[in-house]
This record gives sequence, C-alpha cells and structure tokens, in this order.
Amino acid sequence: MTVNTIYFTILTFSFRNIMTIFRRSAYSKYNTLSGSELVPSVSLLVPAFNEELTVIENVKCLLTLNYPTYEVIVINDGSSDNTLEVLREEFGLEPLPNPEMRNSIDCQPIRAVYHNPQYPHLFVIDKPNGGKADSLNAGINLSHYPLISSIDADSLLEKDALIRMARMYMENPEETVAIGGDVRIANGCLIENGAVKEVSLPRKMWPMFQAVEYLKAFLGGRIGWSAINGLIIVSGAFGMFRKDYVIAVGGYRGGYPGEDMNIIIKLHRYMLENKLKYRVAFCPEAVCWTQAPDSYRILSNQRKRWGRGNLKNMIENYDMAFNPKYRVMGLLTMPYNIIFEALNPYFKITGLLALVGYTLLDMTNWKILVVFGLINILSGYLLSIGALFLEELAFKRFTKVSDLARLLLFSALKFFGYAQLGGLWRIQGHIQYLRNNNSWGTMTRTSWKEESKAAKTA
Amino acid sequence: MYTHLTLAIYFIYVCLGLIGIGIALLFTLRLSHLNKEKKSKYYLQKHQDYFKFIQTHLNGTAALPLPPGKLKELEWRVIQQKCIEWIGQFKGDYREKLVRLCYEAGFVREDIKLLDSLFYGRRIAAAYRLGGMRAAEAVPRLLKMLESEKYTPLTIVVARAVAKSAEQEEQLKEMLQHLLRHGKPIHNMAADIVMESQLDASRLLLKLLDDENPDLVKVALVAMWGQAIPEVVPSLDRLVGAEQTDVRAEAVRLYLSSNPVLKDDTIKSLMADKDWEVRAAVAKSLGSLHAAGSIPLLRSALKDANWWVRNNSAESLTKLGETGFEVLCQVAMNGSGVERETAMYHIERAMQQNNEHEKLDQMVAYNKKKLLYERYFGVAEKRPIRQVAAVGGDYTA
Repeated sequence: MTVNTIYFTILTFSFRNIMTIFRRSAYSKYNTLSGSELVPSVSLLVPAFNEELTVIENVKCLLTLNYPTYEVIVINDGSSDNTLEVLREEFGLEPLPNPEMRNSIDCQPIRAVYHNPQYPHLFVIDKPNGGKADSLNAGINLSHYPLISSIDADSLLEKDALIRMARMYMENPEETVAIGGDVRIANGCLIENGAVKEVSLPRKMWPMFQAVEYLKAFLGGRIGWSAINGLIIVSGAFGMFRKDYVIAVGGYRGGYPGEDMNIIIKLHRYMLENKLKYRVAFCPEAVCWTQAPDSYRILSNQRKRWGRGNLKNMIENYDMAFNPKYRVMGLLTMPYNIIFEALNPYFKITGLLALVGYTLLDMTNWKILVVFGLINILSGYLLSIGALFLEELAFKRFTKVSDLARLLLFSALKFFGYAQLGGLWRIQGHIQYLRNNNSWGTMTRTSWKEESKAAKTA
Repeated sequence: MYTHLTLAIYFIYVCLGLIGIGIALLFTLRLSHLNKEKKSKYYLQKHQDYFKFIQTHLNGTAALPLPPGKLKELEWRVIQQKCIEWIGQFKGDYREKLVRLCYEAGFVREDIKLLDSLFYGRRIAAAYRLGGMRAAEAVPRLLKMLESEKYTPLTIVVARAVAKSAEQEEQLKEMLQHLLRHGKPIHNMAADIVMESQLDASRLLLKLLDDENPDLVKVALVAMWGQAIPEVVPSLDRLVGAEQTDVRAEAVRLYLSSNPVLKDDTIKSLMADKDWEVRAAVAKSLGSLHAAGSIPLLRSALKDANWWVRNNSAESLTKLGETGFEVLCQVAMNGSGVERETAMYHIERAMQQNNEHEKLDQMVAYNKKKLLYERYFGVAEKRPIRQVAAVGGDYTA
C-alpha cells in the first residue's frame, strides 16, 4: 500500500508536468536549431558486444541524425562475432597509426582506433572485452566534445532525438549534468533505413509486457522523479551527460551491471557534496527505440542482471539513504529504491505467505485475502491507466484503437504471472550477486531487417 | 476489523470507479483525436484548390483572397496552419502577402484575443501561432507576457514568437532582457532566438557589444560567431580585456576569427591567459594567421595542462610550414608524456592527408613534410610506437 502511495505521488508530479512537456514538444521547431553552430557538440558513444546483426543499421541511423556537430564512437568490446569486421567493411575503416586517447578515465588499453576520412565523424575503437562501463570509459577517452551521449548498439534513435535533448540542455546548461531519453520497444514496428517508419505494438507476449512496463516506468515514473530532481537512473540505452562531470566522478564503474544507475548516483553525490546547483533531467520527447528480449530465457537473464546491478548500487551507496545532506536523493529516492525496489520481492513474498498462513490457520478468512489481493491489483492497474493517460495526452505514438485495447489488456494481465516473475528474477539476481556470479548472460539479437519483415507480414 | 474491511471494500469500489472512468476517458480521447485527424485531412483535401490558387498567385500584385464559403472552426485552423507553414518557408514579398492574408482572415486578431485567455495552454498556443504569422501587432502583448512569465521551457516559445514578429530592434533587445533576467546562462539559446528575427540583427548586435549588461554582450558575441565584421573590432579590442572570463573568451575567439594583425606582445599575453578557452582559441588561430614567429610559444603550449590548448597548438604547428612541422617531429622524438603524444597524433594525421592534395603547391608542401618525417622516423621500421597509459592522465577534456 505504501509503495502504491509513493507511486501515486510520483504519478501526480508526472501529471503536473505532462502538459508542459507536450507544449514544449509541440511548439518547438528544430529545423533552425539542428543547423545552428550555437548547439553544443556531442560525442555519441556506442558500446558494441556481438552486435554484428544490428550494428550497421544503427551506425547508419546515427550518422544521419538532425544535429549540427557530433561524432559517433563505436566501441567494439572484444566481440567474438564479426562486429568489427562488418563495420570495417561497410565503412572502409583503417587503423589510425597514433590514435589520441586522452586517458582521462581508467580503462583497459585499446587495440586500435579505426577511421575513414570519408566518414570523418565515425570512429571505431577495438579493445579486449571489459564490459559496457569500460567501453564507455574508452569512448570518453577518445571523445572530442563537451557532451557525451551513451547509446546502445541495439537501439535506434529518432532523427530529432538528440536535438530535442540538446534544446533541453540549452535551456539550463550550467545546471544540467545529465538528461535521460525515453526508451520504447521497437519489436513489431516497421523499420526502414535505420528509422522507425510505422509504430506498432509487439506481437509477441514478452515484448508486449515490456512495452506496458516501459510506458509505466518512463512516463509514469521518470517524469515525476525528474520533476523533484530525484531521478536515480538515466537509461543506458540513451542518455546525454556533461563530460567534465562524468570525468570528475571517475567515469563509469566497471565490473558490475547497473552502470547507468551508478553514474547517476555518483553525479548526484558529487554535486550535492560539492554544493553545486544541478539537475538530472528527463526528456520524454527524445525517443530511442530498442529491441526487447522476446524469449523467457533472455528476458529472465536481463532482469537478473538488473537485479544484481540494483543491489550492488544500493549496497555501495547505502550511506546516502535517510541522510538529509543528500536532499531528495537521500530522503526519498534512495530509501524508496532500497525498500521498494531492491527489497520489494521479499516484502511481497512474506506478506503473501503471512496472509495465506493466517487463512490456513483460520486466523482470518478468505474474504480478507481476496479484498487485499484486489486492492493490490486494482491500485496497480490504476497506475498503469495513469501512465497510458500520460501517453495519450502528450505523445499519442500508438494510433490504433486496438493498440489502446491491447495496452489495457496487458496492463491487467501482467498482475497474473508477469509481476510475480519479476520478483522471482530479482531474487535470483540477488542470489547471483551473493554467489559472485557476474556473467552478463545470453543476449541474442535479431537483425532490424528481420524485425521489419515480420512487421510487414503482420 | 470489520470496519477496516468495509473501508477496504469501499476503496475497491473507488478504484473500480476510477478505472472505469479512466478507460472511458482513454477511449474518448483516442477516438476524438482520430476524428480530429480525419477531419483535418478531409479539410486539407477540400481546400486543395484554394491552396493551389494561393500558391500560384503569390507573385501577383493583387491581395490574396480569403477562402470561399462559411467555414467551421477546425477548417479555419487547418488553413491557418498551412499559412504558417508557408510563412516559415518563404521570404520577402511572398511572406508579406501571406502575413497580410492572416490579418485579413482574422487569424491574428483571434490569437491576440486568446493571449488573454484564462487557460495557460491557450495563451501559449496563441503565442506560438502569432510568432508563426509574424504578427508585429502582437509584439507588445507578447513582451508583456514574457515579462510576467516565470522561467520555464515555454518561455523560449514566447521569446521566439517575439523574435519572429518584431519589427523594431528595441523590441528584440527588450525580449532579450526579459529572457535573461532569470540569471540562467542561456546565451547560446538567446543568440539562436535572435537569429530567428526577420530584422537585420547585425546593427542590434553591434549595439549590444557596448551594452553595460554582460549577458547582452555575451549574446552578441556568440551570435556573431564566424561573422566578425571590421566594425566590431574596436568593441572587441575593449572586450578582450574584460574581467568576466566567459566574455573575454568569446571576445578573443571572435576577435581572432576576423584575421587581425596581432602584435607579438598581444599573442604572448593571450597565450598566458589564465582561462584555457582563451589560450585554446589563440593557439588555434595562430596556424591560420600563419604567425610563424609564434612557433616557440606553440612549442611550449604542447605542455599545457589543457587538452584543447595542446591539441590546437599542435594543429597550428602543422600549418606553419616545415619549421612548425619539424618542431613537432622533434617533440615526438625527444619529448615525453602528453606533449609527445599530442605531437605524434598530429604528425600521423598530417601524413595521412597525402591523398587530399589537388594543387601543386599543396603537394610540394606535403612532400617536404614527408621528407622531414622520414628523416626523424625512417620510412617504415622506425615509426613512432604509441604507448597508451591506462591510468591517470588528463582531466581537462
């Protein structure tokens, strides 16, 4: 009940801001800004591990963004497939004899930097496998611009996504240390030439649940958290950062998943400890489309990894919780994440077991069990409806009436199995953490062309 | 216990009620949106002939006519949107005629009225459209709106509307004052907004350079990037010595972009400036100014604590003929640490450009550099081998 009350409060903040977001998006034209020298330059960092199927499409998409000055740095993180080879072949890349790495942040030594003067804004770093954080750090060391943007190699940015973020940055450049973008599920969409041409919901069950989940988390949650400057994560799939501050906090933390949450916690800590005015913002109109896992095995691996990363971050930064020095982060975000995110599955299980136990022991009756179960489900469903409302008010990405019906249906269905699996995966992630199991797990990719073919035939 | 249970059951009813209302509202919103979209498409189609007529008569002398017949509200809105779209695309007489059409159709009058609406959303939408229609009549009212606004992302929308519609420089200056009074360092954004104006902003920018408000000076400096004209040089001469670091840095950058003749003492003092942005800007310009006398200064700057200063110095050295290039080779051969790394990177970069010389003199210059390169590093076997340090390093990037 408490968790739902907090959710509702955050949702209220999201509602308070949604019309400003809608108007900002609707009444801003980017044609002048996207050709202006006044827009800050950005280095796009794209860590890639075994991404041979999607990386070409993604790099092409990134090279054609509406943005005045930027560079794309792909970091091949010791892929065992042909990621590097396909990149070299497609873009005619050759190794630079003396690549200039700035070594601002500790990272593994690189093998080579590839470049082709015909694509002056594309660089590919080849390095031994060291994880996503290490790749991002290597990218920062090569980057030439004051802003960096991390982008997953399995994601597609909308053409205006970067300029929308830059506009938000330019509204308050001194205080903005990081901006998160909205991540949406591309499964089921029609993709042509590295861009989403037709938005549609996924046809398969697992991505569909994730589509509902992402809508709730990004629109219902992150808009509200960012309104009170309590955002704890900028998705690794798409975020923009001020490079000087990322370097000041020592870059990304390697060795564990959850580096996207970790860097934001470190930024909050650094800014608050140094009494600097700052904001971690969320820009929902800057959209990045990502391939969601479409099988149980891959999804469970991903969620276990998230569970491990979350626990590690909470343990590393437990001192911030309930500490007024860290303001909203210390008094709300961290306690909320420790109690209601990391420990949530344990509360759920113990609560459920207690209720079942009371019923079996005849200390209470089935009616109470049903009533509290219903309250839990209905209040959760109400939150999902709130998130769909935000979508409908400001973005309207899914145009068909049947899409709305499906979203409503899956928002209800997720309480019967999917939500419980989420708790189970999180606990399994915690067990992996305690066992020091730190593998990334299996992650298979589908080519965007395959995705698109499937969308066309549907 | 039963009271709690009753309360819980009531709560369930409330949730169910809210869910029911929520779902109904969601479908209503979706259907009304689809309906509006469908109607808009229909009206666009319906008025195709009128739009074609307008396009073909844009270059005529007669005023453009209003659409025929009695129109519905959405129809007017669709036509207004089309006009705004064209006003954004055309300039000169075409734009003038379309703006006049917007006045005659009553679009401007209606939207000025909406600026007094009780609903903020309507006021902002009206301000946006008025900007699109370049409605000079609305500027005083928009400026008042801007004056009373708290700083939000939507302040930018109103400021842009003023910039697009303003017919006097003073109005642009007032807009800037309102925009910058919140103390946010949004000079780049403000400069971008000024550039949206249909007025020739260069006179205003010149005046702003002499303004006592440093924020306005900075907007003028960033707005003039890459287009310094001789008239600005006296003001820049003064601003190069300004106390505010950011104003000084911008002024130096702009000053150097005007290809000035720099005295040795001036170069020396600028290269010793405490602000790295100033040093970097000077280092960068020395190459394009062909200031061969500054080679020793650039050589020393290869050890600068800041990456940009080192990088720009090396780049300038490669542009300063064989003497500059040889200095780089010497540093790469005998130097150490960051200066050596910077030198090596730029030497290799210069050597890679062998295919890009179309003119004979460029080829000759390149070949001279190549000979120097081979003298220091040999043809293939003695190429400099880079050692990447994995820890520590440069925090100035």
